[in-house]
Amino acid sequence: MMMNDVKSDVAASDAWRVGEVSLDSRFLLGTAGYPSPRVLAESIAASGAQVITVGLKRQLAAAGDNGFIDIIRAAMTEHGARLLPNTAGCRTAREAIQLAHMARELYDTPWVKLEVVGDEYTLQPDPIELVDAARQLSKDGFTVFPYCTDDLVTCKRLLDVGCPLLMPWGAPIGSGQGLINPFALRTLRERLPGVVLIVDAGIGAPSHAAQALEMGIDAVLLNSAVSQASDPVRMAGAFRQAIEAGRTAYRAGVMAKQDFAVATTPVTGNPFLIGG
Amino acid sequence: MNTAADAQITIQLDGQPHALAAGTMLAQLVAALGHDELAVSTAVNGEFVARGQRAARVLLEADQVLLFQPIVGG
Repeated sequence: MMMNDVKSDVAASDAWRVGEVSLDSRFLLGTAGYPSPRVLAESIAASGAQVITVGLKRQLAAAGDNGFIDIIRAAMTEHGARLLPNTAGCRTAREAIQLAHMARELYDTPWVKLEVVGDEYTLQPDPIELVDAARQLSKDGFTVFPYCTDDLVTCKRLLDVGCPLLMPWGAPIGSGQGLINPFALRTLRERLPGVVLIVDAGIGAPSHAAQALEMGIDAVLLNSAVSQASDPVRMAGAFRQAIEAGRTAYRAGVMAKQDFAVATTPVTGNPFLIGG
Repeated sequence: MNTAADAQITIQLDGQPHALAAGTMLAQLVAALGHDELAVSTAVNGEFVARGQRAARVLLEADQVLLFQPIVGG
């Protein structure tokens, strides 16, 4: 078999799923905070993302959307992107449930990124309200993507109430700190084999995303790391490459760490005969 | 006999007082604000009101109405 054939076979077998939906890209991209609608559109294209997050805002009188709707429609048409509306700003299960229903109507999708924040300073998810909201929304026919902490037991409860996947944070939203608790993420991967895990929030650099994928996280969702870059379009491409590299590395099997040096070159004894 | 004052109600529209004719339906409010009915979602008193139910939802004194539109999000 030629090398190209091997690469093709590997790529063809690496799709992941959300319910019945098969996805090739492991990069989920947010749409907020870009310098212009054009940069947003080009960043989506450069990312290769097949899932893009969107929001809802209170609005009194009819107003223009700065081309936003056209951009996301183009992404859906040209790149096969799917929308993932969020419930940003919600503090209770009740609020989040109502907002999710409005998002489903507006965006015509049962997918929802469920955010229920319990702390204003860290924007840490409220596990109690989150599980309550996830339970009800799952009953209501939603596909719930819960933005959660990396707490194993909370994650189990979210699965118990019907979430088909989990979105643990890497670090607080928008902080760019990367994976502040790799142990917890590795624990989730180890204890929840087969469950789709998407690291959401806190990723600042492509290396952070690669690290997540290398440890077996299935995908990453990020926004600020791209939108706040000096060149968002180029950064979207950098993340795309890092995510693909991290995933490939995971599949290839990263070597085990050793405490001490292990000689690489297979010499036997001393390389030179010294003395007589 | 109704007076002019009886014919008016005041709702809270996104937290602000908003005068309406008594008997106004939610769908009529959405249209009066200039919205395409497909471009907004609505809630009254914290409860989602589906697009198809707006024409049957009469607004009452002190109702709290929220309208939502698509926006960028992370």
